[in-house]
Amino acid sequence: MAVADIEDRIAHAQRHRSSIFLEDAELVSVEKFPAEQFIMRLRAPRCAERASPGSFVHIQCSEQIPMRRPLSIMRASKNDGWIEVLFKSLGEGLRALGSAEIGDVFSIIGPIGKGFVPDQQRPNTVLIGGGVGIPPMVFLAESMQSEDFDWNPIVLMGSEIPFPFDAAESKIPCDWLNADINHTMPLLDRWNVPARLASLAGFDGCFNGYVTDLSKMYLESLTEEQRQQTELYACGPTIMLQAVAKLAEGYSIPAQVSLEEYMACAVGGCAGCTVEIQSDDGPTMQRVCVDGPVFEASRVVF
Amino acid sequence: MAVTLPVTPAPLNTDFCGLTLNSPIVLLSGCVGFGEEYTRVDGFSNADVGAVVLKGTTRESRLGNQPHRVYETPAGMLNAIGLQNPGMDRVVDHILPGLDFAETRFFANVCGSTIDDYAAVTKRFDDSPIDAIEINISCPNIKQGGVSFGNYPDMSAKVVAACRAQTSKPIIAKLSPNQTDIQENARLCIEAGADALAVINTVMGMAIDTENRRPVIGNVRGGLSGPAIKPIALLKVHQVYEIAGPRNIPIIGQGGIVSARDAIEFLLAGATTVGVGTALFYDPMACKKINTGLADYLKVRQLQSVSQLVGALQL
Ligand SMILES: Cc1cc2nc3c(=O)[nH]c(=O)nc-3n(C[C@H](O)[C@H](O)[C@H](O)COP(=O)(O)O)c2cc1C
Ligand code: FES
Repeated sequence: MAVADIEDRIAHAQRHRSSIFLEDAELVSVEKFPAEQFIMRLRAPRCAERASPGSFVHIQCSEQIPMRRPLSIMRASKNDGWIEVLFKSLGEGLRALGSAEIGDVFSIIGPIGKGFVPDQQRPNTVLIGGGVGIPPMVFLAESMQSEDFDWNPIVLMGSEIPFPFDAAESKIPCDWLNADINHTMPLLDRWNVPARLASLAGFDGCFNGYVTDLSKMYLESLTEEQRQQTELYACGPTIMLQAVAKLAEGYSIPAQVSLEEYMACAVGGCAGCTVEIQSDDGPTMQRVCVDGPVFEASRVVF
Repeated sequence: MAVTLPVTPAPLNTDFCGLTLNSPIVLLSGCVGFGEEYTRVDGFSNADVGAVVLKGTTRESRLGNQPHRVYETPAGMLNAIGLQNPGMDRVVDHILPGLDFAETRFFANVCGSTIDDYAAVTKRFDDSPIDAIEINISCPNIKQGGVSFGNYPDMSAKVVAACRAQTSKPIIAKLSPNQTDIQENARLCIEAGADALAVINTVMGMAIDTENRRPVIGNVRGGLSGPAIKPIALLKVHQVYEIAGPRNIPIIGQGGIVSARDAIEFLLAGATTVGVGTALFYDPMACKKINTGLADYLKVRQLQSVSQLVGALQL
């Protein structure tokens, strides 16, 4: 191989270098919600600067539990240098994180992963979040709202435990729905993004059913032409994502889903986090951390 | 190939099978993909380590095991990746040309289901810029081959001899801790032509989810790594050094090294170089810290070279 050719190859292989940052992130605020759910704001300027919807951080929850845990980024402020994460303190690591106090410092690496890639040919976007899969949907909604492009997002969230925010009546009408299904995440109202909630737990102002059933009702209310300009984005439990994939297939609409798997390195080194993805050349095992976490729903082997 | 500029303090230069490494640290197979993955992390550099061992490579591509593949356990973790790799041709033709051999040395890690497989993969790497070839006769996570060779000294020696016949590059036999007599295994591997030994691979283990009453790891069993196995690994290095030391065969000591102090313990027990794997998952900058800690240790004791520590255990 010629020297120039080798240099080319090295340059190509090294394109991703220095894209993830190791930071000592200080906890600046915590909000606690029922069922051991927390929203934490961490000072992490380098990570905040490059975070995008769908990307995540790998956080060391305590010195006694040195393996890190992946957490989706819910919001990021480039200007103020913080990120927000939402989690339910399930498992030893996240339980330790949940007991943190303001001023505590955590080692994080981030932002990691290929996030959502909105398609301007499909400006109608349906953002579907289930449980602790809500964060990237909030991030995606905020980023669509702040872009110059005229996105038309709607956020639909489901949870069987109380929502990790104080749900309140929305000022944005959704005329495709019964008027008493009117609760939303107030932050989304503030950004002028329509949103509705679904639960089987009988919470006020929520659709009584699965979030994917609510999504189906929304898609039904669209004309065929509108549906051709629609794309689904989802994050949540596997069965929800499976239902989203089926829904999308039924309407011939593309969907992007964010997957989860246990991780060790989170930088592509260990192949510990793989999921089965159908490629043009047959089945492959792809790494959720760096090949994802967002994949085309139609290619995921659930 | 370009000559490496020493980026680490000169006393850390280590001679290993005739190769000069700029640090005794070796990044371990399976923890750093095919060499470039960790460079995603700003501040991480392959130039901080003496060598990088690439992921276990087989003749044909392998998809690996079903999830979950990794799980944290007290002071360590279980893994059962199942040797996911794109196969030897893709590694040699597409991945090696993208590696910067001016930054560090790269070692291959070879695995197979039959002796013939091992020989074929070794042969493929012989005709490549790879600096050394590690024979993985200790992978616990595949159904055929791997540890089913490594747990039997005679079989281990046959694999090593078959690989030896294919290459003049340095050969490292990676030994399993899951066997009765590691000294006998080490001796037979050396006699079969191994230039170095890697001690130890992971210790077989299991985890159970009490909610659903199922094994956590998709493969049921997995390999335990990290600080939990350090005392086991140290003893095995000490035992293997009794065989390898007198024959001038260097050891890559590994199993739970996270700090300079851990590394020094392995050197004293008889390792010439020290492997770092799981520690990277804790702290991607672990190697920089270990280099600094090693250099400080030498300086305080007015030692000129890290080699003065090798096997310097006082009994
Ligand atoms: C996720 C993971 C994958 C591994 N894959 C391989 C492999 O492909 N080949 C091999 O010889 N050893 C493999 N190992 C074993 C390591 O190379 C090393 O011997 C072991 O983890 C002990 O060192 P540590 O405690 O520093 O991690 C793997 C270890 C881990 C944690
Ligand atoms: S967690 Fe190691 S490759 Fe994804």
